[in-house]
Amino acid sequence: MRTTITRLGRVALLAVPLGTVALAQQAVPPAQVAVQEIVDGLKPDGSRWLTFGGNYANHRFSPLTQITPDNVAKLQPQWMFQTATLGNFETTTLVRDNVLYVTGPQNMAWALDARTGKQIWRYRRELPPGLTACCGLVNHGFGVLGDKLFMTTLDAHLIALDMKTGAVAWDTTMEEYKKGYASTLSPLVVHDKVIVGVAGGEYGIRGFIDAYNAQTGKRVWRRYTIPGPGEPGNNTWSGDSWSRGGSGIWATGAYDPDLNLVYIGTGNPGPDYHSESREGDNLYSCSMLAIDADTGEIKWHYQFTPHDVHDWDSTQVPILADITVAGQPRKVLMTANRNGFYYTLDRTNGKLIVGKPFVQTTWAKEVGSDGRPILLPGYIPDEKGQFTCPDITGGTNFWPPAYDPNSKLFFVNAREVCATYYAWKPEFNQGDRFTGGAAQRARDRNNSPYGALRAIDPATGERKWEYKYINPSTSGLLTTASNLVFSGDAEGNLLALDSRTGKLLWRYQMGATLHGTSPVTYMLDGKQQLLVPAGTTLTAWALP
Amino acid sequence: MTLMKWTLTVAALSTLAVMPVSTQNASSGNPLAGNADAIRFGTALYRARCADCHGMDARGVRAPDLTQVWVSGRTDDGLFKTVKNGVAGTEMPANPRMFDQEIWQVLAYLRTLAASAPNDPPKGNAEHGQQVFRANCATCHRVNGTGGRLGPDLSRVGASRTRDMMVKQIRGATEDFRPGYEPVTITGSDGQAIHGVKKNEDNFSVQIMDTRERIQGYQKDKMKSVTDDTKSAMPVYGPDRLSESDLDDVIRYLQTLRGFDPAVKQ
Repeated sequence: MRTTITRLGRVALLAVPLGTVALAQQAVPPAQVAVQEIVDGLKPDGSRWLTFGGNYANHRFSPLTQITPDNVAKLQPQWMFQTATLGNFETTTLVRDNVLYVTGPQNMAWALDARTGKQIWRYRRELPPGLTACCGLVNHGFGVLGDKLFMTTLDAHLIALDMKTGAVAWDTTMEEYKKGYASTLSPLVVHDKVIVGVAGGEYGIRGFIDAYNAQTGKRVWRRYTIPGPGEPGNNTWSGDSWSRGGSGIWATGAYDPDLNLVYIGTGNPGPDYHSESREGDNLYSCSMLAIDADTGEIKWHYQFTPHDVHDWDSTQVPILADITVAGQPRKVLMTANRNGFYYTLDRTNGKLIVGKPFVQTTWAKEVGSDGRPILLPGYIPDEKGQFTCPDITGGTNFWPPAYDPNSKLFFVNAREVCATYYAWKPEFNQGDRFTGGAAQRARDRNNSPYGALRAIDPATGERKWEYKYINPSTSGLLTTASNLVFSGDAEGNLLALDSRTGKLLWRYQMGATLHGTSPVTYMLDGKQQLLVPAGTTLTAWALP
Repeated sequence: MTLMKWTLTVAALSTLAVMPVSTQNASSGNPLAGNADAIRFGTALYRARCADCHGMDARGVRAPDLTQVWVSGRTDDGLFKTVKNGVAGTEMPANPRMFDQEIWQVLAYLRTLAASAPNDPPKGNAEHGQQVFRANCATCHRVNGTGGRLGPDLSRVGASRTRDMMVKQIRGATEDFRPGYEPVTITGSDGQAIHGVKKNEDNFSVQIMDTRERIQGYQKDKMKSVTDDTKSAMPVYGPDRLSESDLDDVIRYLQTLRGFDPAVKQ
């Protein structure tokens, strides 16, 4: 007993100066999350992480500098949290007032004490049987506003949870899951609206983006990602193929408060591979849409892959920045696309600035000055099979990239993999899988797949450095003002690299990959924390 | 009385329940057999999903020859279940996401390739083949719990590979390495070379079984070099080392094997 008191006393004495600093840096925030906190993004005090990408521009760039290239190898685990359920994390954790808000597989979610990893509350959704989510019962994370957390569900609902208790505040149905709709993305909160979308590009859905009132859950607007009859663009679909053309939404967009535009990438047209089932460009599949946040009106669109036949969704996370291109200041949107090209677009009007391959591409020679790809022979899969690079998973995919506004480098985990694509005419039965083909990855010795973390200059599309993986990584990224970039490889290693050179500085075997997840970082009692989801485990790291 | 009534009811129900299933079990169970569209779709599906292991011509690569399955007595229904559920303890995965119709399409296509008679009529002397195997192969290959571990266990190989494939392997005419058996040479800081096969690898380490069957992990930065070898750890058994008749005998021996049963018989 006495020993305990003495120890506590020592800790208390030691903690006083640190605690004073911490209190000065991290005053108790108001109970409600204000719109301005979200607009401000990540702050130098490291007190919060409130949106999927850290800020509306999706930089995943932390201003924190306590962990540096010199000391990163000294990181020590602080605690681990295990979900104790089937399936893996694909989430970005939100942080506020020393509490972590994290979503897991099968629509489970938790509030955790950031100091100990101990659960404060848990939410578990009763999911109906027969879910159609194509690619795992996953979730990409919460959105937040006021006293509510927002989560999309595998049965295509959007729900609001009470931040303090995890109790459901409202539950709204986006669409009927039995028709092939599902939702996994992290909601984008803009002013008083929660902006989400639906997945189901492999199930003959008609995709849409919805905005809901954050207080009530009532729908404010819906924008179909495929124009209906009479609307401009409907004639880019042959016959009635538009009505089951897919074009789902399953990656969080970006937002520019000055332009009041939301930028969201759209999914593949369906059926995925069979060209003749849907002749035409198939707008707005495989596109970037710039949408008025108040009305849902499409201000511009840029279609990366007109008439896609390789399942190359454009559901990559877009990054916004203001950079200088050819001596001119430009407001740009950056994205490395599943089709193998890296793009810098003018985000005020959707015009192409840079379009350049960032992996081997055999389907298109280049992007023309009109913004359309210049196709190469063998673009269309058939019953005999067409060999094409990249493969179905693409040059990259939904795992988030990162951007350093100081060095102005765009970081992405890229894949060098090719495939033989097959196609045939599919039957359509509502709610059933509707792809019209398949793909077989090439893995002979002449086409050995590999991956690389690549740093790209958005002004030119040139590669500045790369760190090679023997197998392609599916990890998201985090970068910091202290010139670090965190990634994961395909074998379960957590990696820290120098963001200026790509030099590996530190690694740790996590026992599972960071598939689709990104680490986040924040301050806790004066110490910078690195929080890493991998497999079924969250691990917090800090310097000794 | 009550008990008897129950028994009778259960028996009647069982009969009812079993009857449609037994009808399904008939070998002509593929509802899409001979359907031209199904065969076309099945061709593409087969190439995308199955050909990697079973070969573009379905004659078997790392997995069995599928042109022989009907002639060896398998039924449509049994094959359907194999595709759906996989084969435990082998590389054949379950395909729970494939629709029933897609499986029938694949089987409709495979039926068009089916051999009318076994294309590998047995030849050779299995008893002598076993002696040849013990003398030449058992150092590295295991059969029914006995033998080496550096190469794959061959207790089931004769049931799952064509004669052609086995001949190619033995004569050294194949270049593909099965995962887990890719040859590697590690040179330590002392210049000593360790030869083995790769069990796992990442950017920083490699896990191998060396030629003395030692399983061990090595950190790449502590080694002078880690090199993927281009030649298999399996020696080439050309006609100079293994006569045609010994080759026939050893293959015949392997074809008599039906897999290792580890169950302990008391």
